[in-house]
Amino acid sequence: MKSGPYFFVGLAAAFGMSWAGVMWSEAQLGRLAPYYDDIESASFPNRMPGNAAAGQLVYRDLGCASCHTQQVRRPGYGADVARGWGDRQSVARDYIFQPYVQLGWSRTGPDLTNLAGRKPAAPDADSLMRLLYSGQGGMPAYSFLFEDREVVGQASQYALKSTGGLTPAPGREIVPTERALDLVAYLLSLNTTYDYPEARPVPASGAGEKPIPASGGEIKPVPASGAADKSVPASGGGGAK
Amino acid sequence: MTAAPTQASPSPKAADSAASYGPAGCAALLILLGSGVLWLVAAGLLALISSIQLHSPGFLAGCPILTYGRSQALAESAFIYGWFGNTGLAVALWILGRLAGEPLRASNWAITGALFWNLGLTIGLVGIAAGGETALPMLELPRYVQPLLLAAYAAVALGGVTAWTGRRREVMFASHWYAVAALFLFPWLFSVAQVMLLWYPVHGILQAIVAGWFAQGLWTLWIAPLSLAGAYYVVARMAGRVLPAYDSAAFGFWCLLLVGGWTGGRHLIGGPAPAWISTVAIGALFVLLFHYIVVVLNLRASFAGGGISMRFISFGVAAYALGGILDAVTGMRGVAVFTQFTHFDEAQRQLAIQGGATMMLFGALYFALPRIVGRPWASGGLVRGHLTLSALGILLLVACLGAAGWTQGWALNDPKTAFSAIAGLTHSWLLGATAARALLLLADIFLAVNFFWTLVCAAVGGEKEGAA
Repeated sequence: MKSGPYFFVGLAAAFGMSWAGVMWSEAQLGRLAPYYDDIESASFPNRMPGNAAAGQLVYRDLGCASCHTQQVRRPGYGADVARGWGDRQSVARDYIFQPYVQLGWSRTGPDLTNLAGRKPAAPDADSLMRLLYSGQGGMPAYSFLFEDREVVGQASQYALKSTGGLTPAPGREIVPTERALDLVAYLLSLNTTYDYPEARPVPASGAGEKPIPASGGEIKPVPASGAADKSVPASGGGGAK
Repeated sequence: MTAAPTQASPSPKAADSAASYGPAGCAALLILLGSGVLWLVAAGLLALISSIQLHSPGFLAGCPILTYGRSQALAESAFIYGWFGNTGLAVALWILGRLAGEPLRASNWAITGALFWNLGLTIGLVGIAAGGETALPMLELPRYVQPLLLAAYAAVALGGVTAWTGRRREVMFASHWYAVAALFLFPWLFSVAQVMLLWYPVHGILQAIVAGWFAQGLWTLWIAPLSLAGAYYVVARMAGRVLPAYDSAAFGFWCLLLVGGWTGGRHLIGGPAPAWISTVAIGALFVLLFHYIVVVLNLRASFAGGGISMRFISFGVAAYALGGILDAVTGMRGVAVFTQFTHFDEAQRQLAIQGGATMMLFGALYFALPRIVGRPWASGGLVRGHLTLSALGILLLVACLGAAGWTQGWALNDPKTAFSAIAGLTHSWLLGATAARALLLLADIFLAVNFFWTLVCAAVGGEKEGAA
């Protein structure tokens, strides 16, 4: 290996090839469109409400993704579905309206993909506020998202409905800041309700009528073109919703 | 390529004198190395804090700038960009300068770049603490400092590139390849990632794909090559002969470069990204085993001993190879289902980055500094202490995090185990990890004390010589 220019070209080629791989996935998913359901006359996923989008920025800057994922793996791969984190695996289309995707890389805490749709009982704003204020189990308290202040005139409508050890001193109240309100709005927006065709599991081998794709139990690839998805694809591995 | 790598350094004794760097070259290297060592201590302290928070969530929880999500990001950024950025660049510049056989050129650019790199990094860390974190692994620094870091990096790297293009002999050695590759690849990776993730973010799930590509790319195309450059140079110099199996070194190098960037999907297994991305990544991890075999064959001379640098490097090479094997094994879907999203992932990262890359870089640092300042390290005891504590700390850290992660992985896959129960199961292992972090911090302090003590001795000694 003697020639500098050739070496440099080799470096650029090696780098460029892996980048081309990234761009290939961009070509595959970059224009993924919402899915229009003729029966419901609505398209999915829904856009995030404004305060939820602001809350996602709070989620991001506090580094919540250090402990919480937002991705449900397919049934049979891990206990994601069995833990009640979702009825189906997450698919690329779930994330198309998220400005900053928070997939996460650690599950020190539970997955939050469908926090607002948890079964049997989804948390409400009050319980999330209390959780953020006081922490629980392995989760630290985020008391700096709240203001402990004197009640002046009428008590704030947002003041924490605290009980037990968390009750503030008489004449004082604990009020969530704007950031806490946004964060909770975001957490309450986390729900992937719609069952996209590509999210249905491929039938297990031997199940029956339809030919089984070669990938067996693998995740079914997302259709490449957004425009083609406007009609319900008949080959989606299941009937219409 | 087949020529003896030892020939690369023209007449060893004379070349090693400090004078051959020129005062500006010397200053540039010392600023980079000194900042790197200081950042290492800072990163160690931050890592200790975030490690304590894992088992005692109440620790500093009321302090918004050090809440777990941020302390962890601060520790990682300080380590990667502070310790690795500074020290790795210094080692690359030093090696390229030595191999060129000429004093470093563009030294004033390097000094300016080093100052701005550290200024940018400081602003970035303050930014993370104040709420500017991007929540992207290895790219947590707020976007507003990233262009500054890129420009500062270019200024520093200029010295290395001119040393490479202006080398006296056409032939290039293994340490050349790795150092030059690292110098060029970082700005490409870093600029593409910041444009695609922060300035003009790509759509939806692609963000996770690009982020995975960047994080793995930073490891395989920058961190690993920088430390391998140091290891190849030092082992060749110390062994004083052609490295064993040196003919295959080039294949090992190109294997890393061609395949490394494709491992980005290894954290997306089972996730919402298209399955081909993780499948390709798993394949790439297995192909990379060839690279690890070549590195071990080439650098096995370090296991024969021969000074403190060789002992650091031999530990580093072993950890690097073990990390590669573990990456391949845990890439398999049947294993990943237990290790994904757990502390086991962190154990692997620490094995590779702390155990592999950092130990190799320590070896290069212990070899380089006496040749830059022209006097030996001030305290042999601190050097040995650093080696012992680092080795113990890394072994304990990886073992504890690995055990915690494995326990956690099994428990996560059992839907009946609640998260509070998982925290109980992993608690004692995480305490062990904190003890390991404390050992590593102490080790880093040993290094810092010894480093600055050596500089003071060199300065005082130099003045005396001047006076006489």
